[in-house]
Amino acid sequence: MSDILKSCAAALQAAEGLVEKARVNVAERVVAEGRINAEALETHQVAAHGLAWLATYGAALAEMLAWANRLQEAGSLGELETLILKATFGEYLAQMQGGLAMSQVEIVRPADLGLTSEDVAAFLNNEVRELMASGTAPEVRVSIAGHLAHRHFGDPALGDEMLHMVRDQFHRFSNEQVIPKAQEWHLKDELIPLSVIEQMSELGVFGLAVPEEYGGLGMGKSAMCIVTEELSRGYLSVGSLGTRSEIAAELIRLGGTEEQKSQWLPKIASGETLTTAVFTEPNTGSDLASLTTRAVRDGDVYRITGAKTWITHGARSDLMTLLVRTNPDEKGYKGLSMFLAEKPRGSDADPFPAAGMSGGEIGVLGYRGMKEYEIAFDGFEVPAANLLGGEEGQGFKQLMATFESARIQTAARAVGVAQCALELGLKYAEERVQFGKPIFAFPRISGKLAWMAVETMIARQLTLASAREKDSEKRCDIEAGMAKLLGARVAWSNADNALQIHGGNGYAEEYPVSRVLCDARILNIFEGAAEIQAQVIARGLLLPRD
Amino acid sequence: MKVLVAVKRVIDFNVKVRVKADQSGVETANVKMSMNPFDEIAVEEALRLKEAGTVSEVAVVSAGGPQVQETIRTALAMGADRGIHIPCEGDLEPLAVAKLLKALMEKESPDLVIMGKQAIDDDCNQTGQMLAALANRPQGTFASKLVLSDGKAEVTREIDGGLETVSIDLPAVITTDLRLNEPRYASLPNIMKAKKKPIEEVTPQDLGVDVTPRLETLKVEDPPVRAGGVIVADVDELLDKLKNEAKVI
Repeated sequence: MSDILKSCAAALQAAEGLVEKARVNVAERVVAEGRINAEALETHQVAAHGLAWLATYGAALAEMLAWANRLQEAGSLGELETLILKATFGEYLAQMQGGLAMSQVEIVRPADLGLTSEDVAAFLNNEVRELMASGTAPEVRVSIAGHLAHRHFGDPALGDEMLHMVRDQFHRFSNEQVIPKAQEWHLKDELIPLSVIEQMSELGVFGLAVPEEYGGLGMGKSAMCIVTEELSRGYLSVGSLGTRSEIAAELIRLGGTEEQKSQWLPKIASGETLTTAVFTEPNTGSDLASLTTRAVRDGDVYRITGAKTWITHGARSDLMTLLVRTNPDEKGYKGLSMFLAEKPRGSDADPFPAAGMSGGEIGVLGYRGMKEYEIAFDGFEVPAANLLGGEEGQGFKQLMATFESARIQTAARAVGVAQCALELGLKYAEERVQFGKPIFAFPRISGKLAWMAVETMIARQLTLASAREKDSEKRCDIEAGMAKLLGARVAWSNADNALQIHGGNGYAEEYPVSRVLCDARILNIFEGAAEIQAQVIARGLLLPRD
Repeated sequence: MKVLVAVKRVIDFNVKVRVKADQSGVETANVKMSMNPFDEIAVEEALRLKEAGTVSEVAVVSAGGPQVQETIRTALAMGADRGIHIPCEGDLEPLAVAKLLKALMEKESPDLVIMGKQAIDDDCNQTGQMLAALANRPQGTFASKLVLSDGKAEVTREIDGGLETVSIDLPAVITTDLRLNEPRYASLPNIMKAKKKPIEEVTPQDLGVDVTPRLETLKVEDPPVRAGGVIVADVDELLDKLKNEAKVI
């Protein structure tokens, strides 16, 4: 093993020791008799969420070292990859000691987690101190930038020829079919053309994770992450088209009856049926268990009444996965059921041409291309046979079973947006000449880009690691949550910095980076806002897994 | 009718190529490699002929190290039926490749051999022509349109200032130009299917070809860095600089 891998291994051990001490400290405050005390968790929310972030950094270091070790074994740990590893350890270790940003205005420091100066001193062993000094040196970033100039972003170590081929094909598809048009779709606030969706259907995007016996490809989550990253690198909304089908297919695969599976999965896999997730309500976002839209049984049908909002791709979709309350006496999640509700496709003039259903568009900053809607249901009919799994009260449980996949996919979307921002910033920095040279020549410009490349790789490796866990059928809610949590922060930070590199031009709508900034912002909000994500991770860390 | 498509693994066209410090060549370690874009067009053309029912089998061949199997696999994922890998180490010159392909033509008896007009790494633009000469078969180079009928190929070629259409007897060698077609993307189902398609190994010894290079590369250099411009005070200074510095008048 080379010296750098050895030092990183020793530093990782120290980092994991620090995380464990923090975990024990926070557990002392919020866990009693093997259960989490909800009131105590709220009182110590900053510490609990800080623990989630600290542990995410620990996991990031572990995955980056695992990545470097895989490359080393394959004989392809090059200079760039070594520099990325070094910068990762240097910066993240330094932040673990000096304070890490849960958001721009919330810095978690060791004392917040009950860590004493002795704990920190124990963490700062020789390897940690050496990596903190050498990995954060500006020269490291300059050297990384030298590789970026040749369009080398580091080997993702996919370790599988087929996955490389998948990546190459979708890389090209994004470059040729998505990137040249994305800014126009965004500025005109247009739906992604059906011709593009048809091309994606032909390429097999919608059936990627659907099992083969139901007309899909059964390729697994690693392939899904790679496709999603490449499509989102072109345009977040194109990468997100797959998410809708992914969530619906996963719901039906895990919770549906045999009839429901054979009825819907082949159509979703072929792209013939476009789906939309109808969960959120005006007063119910993260606290999903309290939603109030009602479904009342009336003979062979259920009648739906209530208001839903933030329905992505609401009008141009054929099938809603609709979460509603079937039992009003049960106020919590136990009263919820999931329906597979068919609807006709609508148009801009008449988005919801169905009886008992009306609604309107919500104008948004970014993440356009599918459009967002609020929908009111007033006696909308769904056949009783379309109750997912054929049993009431299972809706919340059914939805939770899909969250790992949805988070992994969202993490991959974030990686795609982060890479897109990096590439836009790099291109502009090379072309923009000031003071007689391309601004890329200035260390604070190339240094930003170098760090963007490093953190994109960190987010990518966390995402692929959770995908591999999922593929090996291991529980990976914590890993998937961490990948999403960090990925969203990286995407936003990359977009913000890429825009900064563009200066005033970045603020002009004609430059795609202006769109990427708006697109990146949603990643910290949807599929579990950063605060909820940290809460879920913290709970997972504080309670022993079953 | 059988088509043989020759493909080459090259540095991806998006990569900015870097010259090795010792000037012995260009850096290929940890560099993204892809199928030569002109060869992708060749694969696409063969597949379209097959889809039109003119051709019954598309075989893809590449010569080089073990990694060229990935390139062959990409062609299989696009839809080719089978692959042939000729394992070779080190530099391969166009003449060596042409000899390998000629021997393979004798073994496989294809009605058509299609390849890119040139590879984007060395820009040689020689292999197709050499193959046609060695095999003593007609050639249709720089094809921008290809029509097969009655044992003949009608090839529209891009030439200076226009198009030239020639009719040649099959079997023939065709080299593709940029505007012949737009290659497809390999779909996920086809990528999965490609895993099961066969790649046969045929060595240069099997083919009786000596691939030892005949040329020696002395050195590879970066293009000279463009010097910055200067603003001259008047026409006299400009003339002076053109005469005495640039020495162009």
